[in-house]
Amino acid sequence: MIEKILATVFFPGAIFILAVSLFYEWVDRKLYARFQNRVGPHLAGPFGLFQPIADLIKLLSKEDIVPMATDRFLFTLTPILAPALILFACMFLPVAGPSGIISFEGDLIAVIALLSIYTITVYLAGEGSNNRFASVGAVRAAVQLLGYEIPLTLSLLSVALAAGSLSIRGIVEAQAERGLWFIAGIQAIGFAIFIIASQAEMERIPFDIPEAEQEIVAGWEVEYSGKRLALFRLSKDLELFLLSGLGAAVFLGGPIGPVIPGLEPMLYTIYFILKSIIVLAIFTLVRALFARLRIDQMVSFSWRYLMPPAMILIILTEVIM
Amino acid sequence: MNFEVPIGPQHPIHVEPLMLRLKVEGELIVDADVDVSYIHRGIEKALELRPYIQGLYLVERICGICNAAQSLCYCLNVEQLLGKEAPPRARYLRIVVEELSRIHSHLLWLGHYLHTLGFETLFMYFWRDRERVMDMLELITGNRVTTAYNTIGGVRRDLPPGAEQKLRRTLDYIEERVRYYEKVIDSEPTILARTQRVGILKPGDAVRMGVTGPHLRASGIKHDVRLDDPYSGHDEIPFNVITWDTCDCYARVKVRLRETSECVNMIRYALDHMPSGDYRLKIPPFFKAPPGESLSRVEAPRGELVHYSISDGGDRPYRYRVRTPTLANLLSVVEMLRSRGDYEVYIADVPAILGGIDPCICCSARILITDEAKKRRMITTLDDIIRFSRGRRVERR
Amino acid sequence: MKVPGRLVAEALKSLFRRRATILYPYRELDKVHLPEGFRGRIEFDRSKCIGCQLCFRVCPAKAIEIVDDEKGKRPIFYIYRCIYCAQCAEVCPTKAISMSKIFENIALRKEDMVVR
Repeated sequence: MIEKILATVFFPGAIFILAVSLFYEWVDRKLYARFQNRVGPHLAGPFGLFQPIADLIKLLSKEDIVPMATDRFLFTLTPILAPALILFACMFLPVAGPSGIISFEGDLIAVIALLSIYTITVYLAGEGSNNRFASVGAVRAAVQLLGYEIPLTLSLLSVALAAGSLSIRGIVEAQAERGLWFIAGIQAIGFAIFIIASQAEMERIPFDIPEAEQEIVAGWEVEYSGKRLALFRLSKDLELFLLSGLGAAVFLGGPIGPVIPGLEPMLYTIYFILKSIIVLAIFTLVRALFARLRIDQMVSFSWRYLMPPAMILIILTEVIM
Repeated sequence: MNFEVPIGPQHPIHVEPLMLRLKVEGELIVDADVDVSYIHRGIEKALELRPYIQGLYLVERICGICNAAQSLCYCLNVEQLLGKEAPPRARYLRIVVEELSRIHSHLLWLGHYLHTLGFETLFMYFWRDRERVMDMLELITGNRVTTAYNTIGGVRRDLPPGAEQKLRRTLDYIEERVRYYEKVIDSEPTILARTQRVGILKPGDAVRMGVTGPHLRASGIKHDVRLDDPYSGHDEIPFNVITWDTCDCYARVKVRLRETSECVNMIRYALDHMPSGDYRLKIPPFFKAPPGESLSRVEAPRGELVHYSISDGGDRPYRYRVRTPTLANLLSVVEMLRSRGDYEVYIADVPAILGGIDPCICCSARILITDEAKKRRMITTLDDIIRFSRGRRVERR
Repeated sequence: MKVPGRLVAEALKSLFRRRATILYPYRELDKVHLPEGFRGRIEFDRSKCIGCQLCFRVCPAKAIEIVDDEKGKRPIFYIYRCIYCAQCAEVCPTKAISMSKIFENIALRKEDMVVR
């Protein structure tokens, strides 16, 4: 029991996940900067490693402003709910072994559901702040959900079909059994769909439509400042960790790899982090290569170019199995 | 959902205070209204209080980015008043600096425009390459942005030794990069999706609204002050006037990209055929201009720039008037923002459309707004304006 | 031809290229190159000045003040008003005024921003 609680709180639980996700933000920013021939964060700590933490602490220490016209309940609830939801979803990730802290048959669906609830939280956060830009951003977030959610789900489900299991543990173990990652094979299409749809889920270029800075200032988070904004930022980092980790677990074999007996948990963690950083690098590269689409273009793009391959992939997987 | 979205006076897409009131239905814009009068700086008035030589540096500060064009226009204006003309070498050197600053302005715009479309990487690349041009400007004129290069009767310094090789190397680099970027922009679907068929301005509308510069050329009309009214020896230099006839934001990107390469060629030609001789006339710092009026036009990076001055025979202008290109182009934004028929404009298109004209609000805020709703008409004569301002004339210390 | 993500080669290349940024205020101060003729902080040579006041009269920013000292009239330059146009240096008949390459004109005390 104690062990379980310790695992949930420290390793590979909340504290570990928070630290790693802040590190992922650093990797993302640094890589993005390097793609653009810039320096990136370089002041706080070696190579600016502590910049995300510094930013977080700075935001947390700022004055807490609640504008008069906001819905106070939503304005307080959503910044707490958003990181909590994603942190909960991160518990399903197989960080230190083939299964996460929580694992049951169907937990893949649970993760997808949590991601959708997160988007609804975003919508509520935008509408709750009662600002014109925030409303536009919130509506965009909701419309965008219609675009990417189904391809994302289908791409993950086709892997589940191939593995014959709806749990992340089952998928990881199926890859270990086959001795081959799912990305090698037709699931590569699923991986591509997963990357693109995740980009939309995380609201990053080319799908950073709900918070398009140049159009609607900051979209749904325009009214949030101080610690509320810090929590939203944190949930973004957690989402980065969650999705790159999910990609690594589902398509790149998760934490499984050659192990030295006795050192399994450590090596598993290292493998998992390395693999998910590869996924993260792809996310960052995609972010560096495109312009932002318009919301109608985004939805029509995902129904035209993401849905059909995803459907065909499901059918193909079913036929091959 | 039917409400009004204010874009400005402070908004991330423009650092300058411009107010756009958009009436939207959901994401669709049905009507727009524009207001630029947030940053009136009183430069015209200040020009009337200063001797010509001091006005030169004030004029440069109307617009930081097109400062070379502003000061060139001022110098041409005053030279016209004095009945003098800059020597040939000065004219060529002026072209070199003017075109360099056009490259720098266009690269800046292209980067910023892609930034408003959310394309951060190209934005960084464009600005990185622009830095080379800035270095060249620094080498030739002594400063990166505010060049202070033109002076009444010529230019203030000759080409420094060794500058020509460096300049040519930079030009080669810029030309190669611009060609590459054009290829990228032409093949990148996300950029095309955001710019093609967005912000359409038909040639007829463009002419009716008095649009100028690259914005007009992107509507397919071949108009360029350098060609129509060669003001600084442009008739001796062969160049193409770039036009593009799709009339949308893509055309604006395209025209500016092509113009950048054209500028490179013009500078090369000017360097090849640089006349020898003096680079400035000997004009004393203080002088009295003979009475009269003069009008000068310059093709600034953003469009046609007009300076008009009246002299009463004193050592400072009696009246000075500046019409900047943004003011001419701004009206067309309202036209482009209105959805009508199957031409639909979304909130997401606002940065693309507004950015497309290369707005520089600080230059433009010196207009009077008439109140049409209240049917109020005000007739202000020139003498009235002068009396208004001279009434509170502040003498120099 | 539409090719999504054509920039990928350039982006990956710049991963291994030297960054374009100069970490100027922190490190790499030696990388800041200024060309000859750069217009920086004004330098003034009292011994050459003949007190003609031309610099005072041309200064567009009114950054120059004329005061009397033991040798006669002389200018004082208020750098915080200077716009670095170098018109005073150009007009000076004895070249007593020159533009140095100092561009870091930041000071905590107002007196440091005055060239005498």
